[in-house]
Amino acid sequence: MNALFSEVGIAQLSKRGEELCGDSVQVVKTGTHTIIVLSDGLGSGVKANILSTMTTKIASSMLQRGIPLSDVVDTIAQTLPVCRVRKIAYSTLQIIKIARDGETTVVEFDSPASFLIRNGHIVPFPTQERVVAGKTLRVGQLHLQEGDMLVAVSDGVIHAGIGGLLKLGWGWQGVMNQLALTCHTERTADEIGRELIACCEGYYLGKPGDDCTAVAVRLRQPLRLTLMTGPPVDQNTDERLVKRLLSAAGKKVVSGGTTANIVSRVMGKPVVVDLTYPNPDIPPTGSIEGIDLVTEGVLTLNAVAERLQSKQLHYLHSRLQDGATLLMKMLLEADEIDVLAGKAINPAHQNPHLPVQINLKAQVIDKLICSLRDIGKTVTIEWV
Amino acid sequence: MKKVVIEVCLGTSCHLLGAQDLMAYLERVPKDWKELIDVRGTTCLHHCGKGPNISVNGTIYTGMTPDKLQDVLSDLIEAAE
Repeated sequence: MNALFSEVGIAQLSKRGEELCGDSVQVVKTGTHTIIVLSDGLGSGVKANILSTMTTKIASSMLQRGIPLSDVVDTIAQTLPVCRVRKIAYSTLQIIKIARDGETTVVEFDSPASFLIRNGHIVPFPTQERVVAGKTLRVGQLHLQEGDMLVAVSDGVIHAGIGGLLKLGWGWQGVMNQLALTCHTERTADEIGRELIACCEGYYLGKPGDDCTAVAVRLRQPLRLTLMTGPPVDQNTDERLVKRLLSAAGKKVVSGGTTANIVSRVMGKPVVVDLTYPNPDIPPTGSIEGIDLVTEGVLTLNAVAERLQSKQLHYLHSRLQDGATLLMKMLLEADEIDVLAGKAINPAHQNPHLPVQINLKAQVIDKLICSLRDIGKTVTIEWV
Repeated sequence: MKKVVIEVCLGTSCHLLGAQDLMAYLERVPKDWKELIDVRGTTCLHHCGKGPNISVNGTIYTGMTPDKLQDVLSDLIEAAE
């Protein structure tokens, strides 16, 4: 069976008057699982945020190391600081653990039931009560399929509207009805989460009575991208590498003038260079039939890495057509990225009068890969 | 007259050494010259250390500036006339 990708979308809304949301979400991707932990801390603001952050951090890092659930719950119960007002240490806990084959475990402690959506039908994720480390949890396990979706929410979403438009709040059924309207379309997990939270804000009339969090997870085929940059040290491997690029699944990107020339020569198709400069700092892009994007090399890659590092994600919505913006969009759309990086050195790039990053291509590529991994992309690199 | 084919290298080194100035110059050449030239971009002309480089009808010129490019073009166009 093909490995599935868990696309996660998170949206949050803080209680009115609070800068910090008292709910926290941690998403951890291991080689085999996607682990999502959602926690709603007692109260609101800083205090709730500390409780929920501790809960999600402890749970996600322990689960990531394969520590059993009973130990995780026990550790959280013993570690949480005690609220000075209520004299209790408390936060809710919701864990969603999805293996790449679709095997999914859901654990809920004092949280609303998660929504399972398949073919437009919505049911609570089936769980059973279990006492773990003295706490009563609801635990369920199910094999999910491609296209299935899971939505977990904090109680602020279920109670949306109290003190606003709805006397008794939105309710689990109300949230389900809203999901029924949106989930069957081609919307991303992120959009579905944001739409739910936008509805909450509306029902609360812009003054949320509680922190709200929605986490949507959709299982789908991973989107792949192969980036070839830099010529290989051994010219005899040019053809083999280009064939590998061409036979790779998903999008294909070539970064670098000499690399583009190699690809063009092996494919027998010309590189057509765009003569416009939408951004004077980024050299123009080109095109080769059969390749999704052709850009200049190190300056473009460095611009993308810097934008990712400084979280300048607004470029995603930019209409700019420069190489860095186009490449950044493609990289952010992909889930699994393979980089074929050539180790050959262009002697002209060692010119001390040129910017330092151009003779540090390896560092630029490393920086790019680290930034992509930081935002949850699975990246493999092969130096050739 | 057959158009003069000018290929401007827009690779990393040439970009940093001033290829944009050559492109800007080619944008503002007189209208009658514009009709006589065919400007294309290229990714590398293999003289990266001496850029910016151009190829005019297959002949490579290195270390180009807008003034030098103007001289090359005027010589070619005058010779053709």
